[in-house]
Amino acid sequence: MIRVDALCHGYADQPSLIDVSFRVEAGEKLVLLGANGCGKSTLLKILAGLLAPRAGSVHYAGAEISPALLKRGEARRRFRREVGLLFQNPDVMLFNPTVYDEIAFGPRQLGLADADARARHWAAAVGVERYLSRPPFTLSGGEKQKVALAALLALEPKLLLLDEPAAALDPRTTGWLVDFLADLPVTLLTTTHQLALAGELGARALVLGEDHRLIYDGATDAFLSDMERLVAANLAHAHRHRHGALEHRHWHAHEWP
Amino acid sequence: MNPAHRARAQLLAYAVAVMLASALSTPAWLLAGVLAALLLAGRQALVILRRALLATLAFSAVVSATYVGHVWWLTATLPWDWLLTVNLRVLLMALLTFLFIARVNLFLALGFSRRLSFLLVLATSQALALRRTLADFRLALHSRTIRPAGLRARYRAAARAMAWLLDRALANAHESAQALQARGWFE
Repeated sequence: MIRVDALCHGYADQPSLIDVSFRVEAGEKLVLLGANGCGKSTLLKILAGLLAPRAGSVHYAGAEISPALLKRGEARRRFRREVGLLFQNPDVMLFNPTVYDEIAFGPRQLGLADADARARHWAAAVGVERYLSRPPFTLSGGEKQKVALAALLALEPKLLLLDEPAAALDPRTTGWLVDFLADLPVTLLTTTHQLALAGELGARALVLGEDHRLIYDGATDAFLSDMERLVAANLAHAHRHRHGALEHRHWHAHEWP
Repeated sequence: MNPAHRARAQLLAYAVAVMLASALSTPAWLLAGVLAALLLAGRQALVILRRALLATLAFSAVVSATYVGHVWWLTATLPWDWLLTVNLRVLLMALLTFLFIARVNLFLALGFSRRLSFLLVLATSQALALRRTLADFRLALHSRTIRPAGLRARYRAAARAMAWLLDRALANAHESAQALQARGWFE
């Protein structure tokens, strides 16, 4: 479904991705890991055809994609319908006067006869149906995240790119999201730096290092149990532990916000 | 010349030029000022002119249209001289400001004052963070529009982005003030 070859990207003179290559098959659920600033969000934006790579290429369903190719026409319509990107900050996605309009925005653009049914169905599926007449910006961070997700799902995409979807969620909603995503019949690529969630979000992990290169592509469980790799990716840390009078220090990878 | 001294001299020159621009009331002199600023900008002239026009367009258009309507209602004449003077003055001040920002290292220019340097760091960090989010607003609209976004969607998205930026800027300013207070700034 996706083929990424020797992808490079940078902002001004700072590289954000260097020589990244991988494949994603339809129906896969992957998690993209990496420390802050290693290029996770940039990679998702390139996969969504929003940023152009400096070098290398991205193919979706056999066709090379780039912002220039996606300006208009049938290629754009198909790609935008099939590929959805959930931004880390849901505020940037919400601009319609009501939650209902927000979720129905995509289907209405396509002129779908069942736009109303889709909006109500996905609002109920993510649990925001009671807010349908409210402006999205009056909702909490977690509710905004759900509305933004429903707005993407209303188009029934084939590929969902989720940028830190649990960052603004409380523990209960995070649990709901993990189950919800596991049941979605779409290809998923989810970024997170919360290691406790990584295994739940995808059986396969892609890991970006602080040098902006892909340093791991394989089973998530194997990566999470490899302390050397976790340390190399700056996903593990060491600090002093105090157990009464006993004090010791070791590397570990427990949860941090 | 020492880079810091040079930056401070440029700051002084900028301040004097802006005061002169605000004092001039002859369209010919203001036009000469605009041409001089563009000459000083050199190869960047078109980029800086475009930025200045975009930055002042909405303000100048609203003020001009309101004043022209008012004068026409009272005297049935058009205040051409006033229109030229005010719009050229606004354009000249914007050009001088964009030229100054493009050419001068503000951190060096304000280095003589610790407090002004702190304020510049705060303002710059806020501006960079808000600029990143504003870029995300644009990309999010692009990613959610199956056909090129229509005018209504663009207006709504722009209005929402502006409202968010104002809210965020106010909240950030409040937090910055609290942080400064916590570190003894207002003692």
